Amino acid sequence: MENVGALSLLLAFCVALFSFFSSIVGAWRKNLYLVAAAQRSVYLVWALITTASGLLLYGLIEGDFRLQYVASHSNKAMPLLYKVTAWWGGQEGSLLFWSWILSCYGAVVVFTNRKQFKTIMPWVIAVMMFTQIFFLILNNFVVPPFQLWAIGRGIISLPDGQGLNPLLQTPSMAIHPPMLYLGYVGFIVPFAFAIASLITKQPGDEWIQTTRRWTLVTWLFQSIGVTLGMGWAYYVLGWGGYWAWDPVENASVLPWITATAFLHSVMMQEKRGMMKVWNMVLVSSTFFLCIFGTMLTRSGLVQSVHAFGISSIGNYFATFLAIGIAATVWLILDRLEFLKSEAHLESVVSRESGFLFNNLVLLASCFAVLWGTLFPVISEAVTGEKISVDAPFFNKVNIPIGLFLLFLTGVGPLIAWRRSSPDSLRRNFMWPTIAMFVLMAALFGAGIRNEYALLSFGLCLFVTATIASEFIKGAVAIAHKESMNVVRATIELTHRNTRRYGGYLVHMGIVVMFVGFTGAAFNKDLIVEASMGKSFNIGRYELKITELKDGDEENYAWMKAKIDVMVDGKLVDTMEPERRIYKASRQPTSNVDIRRRLNEDLFLNFAAMATQGQGAVIQAYVFPLVSWIWIGFVVVFFGTLICLVPAKIKYSYARTEVVGTTTGKATRESHAKT
Amino acid sequence: MDFISPEIKRVGMKLACLCGSCRNSVGDCSMIACGYAFPAKQKIKQLQTMGSSDQNIVGRFVKEQGIKALATPETTGFGLIGWLMPGFAALLGLIAVGVYIKRFRSPMPAPAVPVAPAALAAYESTAAKELDRMES
Repeated sequence: MENVGALSLLLAFCVALFSFFSSIVGAWRKNLYLVAAAQRSVYLVWALITTASGLLLYGLIEGDFRLQYVASHSNKAMPLLYKVTAWWGGQEGSLLFWSWILSCYGAVVVFTNRKQFKTIMPWVIAVMMFTQIFFLILNNFVVPPFQLWAIGRGIISLPDGQGLNPLLQTPSMAIHPPMLYLGYVGFIVPFAFAIASLITKQPGDEWIQTTRRWTLVTWLFQSIGVTLGMGWAYYVLGWGGYWAWDPVENASVLPWITATAFLHSVMMQEKRGMMKVWNMVLVSSTFFLCIFGTMLTRSGLVQSVHAFGISSIGNYFATFLAIGIAATVWLILDRLEFLKSEAHLESVVSRESGFLFNNLVLLASCFAVLWGTLFPVISEAVTGEKISVDAPFFNKVNIPIGLFLLFLTGVGPLIAWRRSSPDSLRRNFMWPTIAMFVLMAALFGAGIRNEYALLSFGLCLFVTATIASEFIKGAVAIAHKESMNVVRATIELTHRNTRRYGGYLVHMGIVVMFVGFTGAAFNKDLIVEASMGKSFNIGRYELKITELKDGDEENYAWMKAKIDVMVDGKLVDTMEPERRIYKASRQPTSNVDIRRRLNEDLFLNFAAMATQGQGAVIQAYVFPLVSWIWIGFVVVFFGTLICLVPAKIKYSYARTEVVGTTTGKATRESHAKT
Repeated sequence: MDFISPEIKRVGMKLACLCGSCRNSVGDCSMIACGYAFPAKQKIKQLQTMGSSDQNIVGRFVKEQGIKALATPETTGFGLIGWLMPGFAALLGLIAVGVYIKRFRSPMPAPAVPVAPAALAAYESTAAKELDRMES
């Protein structure tokens, strides 16, 4: 089995090499046979990597402990779901998973574009196969997943494996990495189209229109992956936080930020033919940040609990990044003539300027996170002494940036394209601004003194009011004209321009998430060694341990504390936080119990048995408004889905040509020819 | 019994947890038996009992562990670069946006020149004649 798996990967590497060169030579010499061969090779690469992946998965499920990877990440007692999860639970398997998703994307891209974009498709294949070759080099020669124990160790097989890291044995961890990978790897598609359009000197709108849905879908996958990771940290790690500014967490959010900036600035190119160079830079940065994030997680460059450990794999990634970035920079500089703007900025007070500032703030945030993540490494390299950069630094730098971004979320959509008059600004923003200040005054009167919390709540209302006014104005106009009720008119309005109104919903989801983030300013926490029957207090809750029990499962042993929750002397709930010790790894984990409410979560963690007498060490937290983070994400999810629905009315956008340049026309003519 | 008092937490928030498993400060680290934060909290408590100020306690940790004992970079020396760089980058971005706006902004339209009444009357007369001709 392991021989077939390893051979499949080796063949996949050879076929990917063939596909890469075949597509380049085919495009160069306009040889359709070579291009067709390259296309079909992409399917073959997919089939071969799928075979290897299937065999590894079979080994994990069946418990083939002759394989080092299986013995290190699976065991007999693990449920089937976690045996499958073990595929991406370790370095070798997860890199194979990366390769497999990349090959799937490759096959889907080739299949869906088999009858169009004859000029650029060979180059799209070349870019994708170049990346595929890199990952297959890792799969074959650096971290092969089919290594046997017997090699160099004198052990043929083990009776049982070590099992998957217990912290990863949760349902959300079964979904989180695939979602994140789908997002990470998926960004190769817009990147490949962008590079192909540069190579073929067609950097117009075609690649953007083609990849718009890809970009949005991969952005959604990234968003789901990041949010599931937050949910996992909140539920599994036992400290109640959902974001700790860990380097690996940061690595996952960096490409998400640049992708978000790209999704906004790409509208400038679609509607006004502007910012073409910038869009190239953003789409390339997103892809390279995905690779950089993968490197950060696997190389041991920075210290992180999420990392796969220290290995030499970082050098391979660094080489790939250096080649890729150098080639991309050269290509963009060489094609600057074809990336000229087709329109002027008509006014500083315009939607275009809003997008510029949106991009500036997003990129500032991205840089701040990247800088903070790498600063310990940089400081050690420069001064010889490591400087720690922990959560307080990131919070201090990113909270103001986040609030400014929230402000722009409200302002941007209400400023008109091209130019806005002072009168329209006053009309659009007067009431939302008044509402914001009234709320801030009311909250100040109610005793809230945290300036960031006051500003955040105020801005949340400001943005909500601006978004609501957009929906209300449009829906009332349709309801009046088409004689329908306001609810139907709102649906009709959204259907007519799904991108715009879906986008507003995404913004609304972000606002709701900000409400949840702001709640962190009022968190309460308590760690107590509580004796049986004695009560302790946190916030408005009185808690009392009434029972301690233990038990044994096939995979782990457990202890539970039964805790009565009382408010004003009345029993409102009984909670059962649990502590597990996994037998294979002897590693303890916490299964916290959370009483979720819209206003606050009561979060209990059974940290340890009491050192003296009958009792337990309990960590109790009150997290105000945290549920709104997850609710907000659901709104973001549905908003993005609406953006993906084709609009009922096809809008076309008139452009203003830049007088004196012919590049735009020349480009469009060459498009027509292809 | 309380594991961490507000006083310990206040000082602990200035110190990084160097256990290698988390990115929290000593004050925030909630791992019960954390190899670094737990003894660090005990040490803070001991020094506070002896009457040490917050600054002295933090200084003691820095002396023992080096500058990495601090949760955030210092505002002097190389640490200052850590704080300034994000703002500097944002400023550079702002300048770049300013340059972009200046470069790609449309030239201001020329101010409207008042039309002489005689020329306007002639234009209106021609337009009226043209309209009459089209209607007839």
